[in-house]
Amino acid sequence: MGANLWKWVKRVFWTLVVIFVAGFLHYTLPQHDIVRVTNTYNRLTTVSTENAWAYSVPDSGTAEGTATRDIRFIETAFPDGSVMVYRNEDTGWIWPPYFKYDSSNLQAEAGNLKSSAEAPKWVVVTHYGWRFPIISIYPNAVSVREATSVDERIIPWVSIVLVLIFGFLVFMVRRMWLQFVERMVDPAMAEVGEAQDRAKGFFGRLFGRK
Amino acid sequence: MIGFIRAAILGFILLTLIYVLVGIYSRSVRRERLEKEWDSDPAREGLTMAERDAYIASGMEAYKHSLRRKLIVLVYLIPAAVFAVTVYLVNYQ
Repeated sequence: MGANLWKWVKRVFWTLVVIFVAGFLHYTLPQHDIVRVTNTYNRLTTVSTENAWAYSVPDSGTAEGTATRDIRFIETAFPDGSVMVYRNEDTGWIWPPYFKYDSSNLQAEAGNLKSSAEAPKWVVVTHYGWRFPIISIYPNAVSVREATSVDERIIPWVSIVLVLIFGFLVFMVRRMWLQFVERMVDPAMAEVGEAQDRAKGFFGRLFGRK
Repeated sequence: MIGFIRAAILGFILLTLIYVLVGIYSRSVRRERLEKEWDSDPAREGLTMAERDAYIASGMEAYKHSLRRKLIVLVYLIPAAVFAVTVYLVNYQ
């Protein structure tokens, strides 16, 4: 019973870890959409504690519970008519590591690629992040270029390489940990075990039967 | 710009930590290999512990000057290169 429960606790724990890591990668890695830019603008946007994690880090000094910022947005439509709104923010220098600081240029490029439903000009928007209307978060557009066609096939090389590197790092951390246990922890434990045996001998002599 | 300096300092500290850990790991793997080499060699059976220690010490001395140890500096170089390429691709393409 106890062992069974422990097995389930471990299973749930590792499932949660995998879900968290997968979600984290899905949020952070670049994705591509083929869309038509319909509008570009900026508006004052309220960033509160519930969605601050999905916006860029504010300049130091404005980190408060609620802050209103002027953020650029790019409105787009998919070929099937559904829409997507991207924000267009500098990412800053730490996380996510896109090191983007050309938001103004990107906004100009996106504006330049605007097109109508009658004469669509399809563009590839590279972005990261999620669109959740309920907490007002938007994916951040990283770059935009004209698509070769509406059904251009895009192979996400960057994501593939990064996932492979991530897997390699996890593998190396595991190996380093196992090496540490084998070379440092186990010998130390063995020594403690020997010391305990010696101590048993000592206390055995003190308190044991003669 | 101040954000860039902060990130650079933070990155340097983080990479230094990784550099030290990888260095310890690499040395540990080498030492283990030397020990196993000695212990599994039938020709060395019956030799003393002091001879074994000397063999491992000379092996570790050779490791200190090996290419493999020097390559650990890639822990700094690869992230720096990836950083530069990312900045270029995101902002200047």
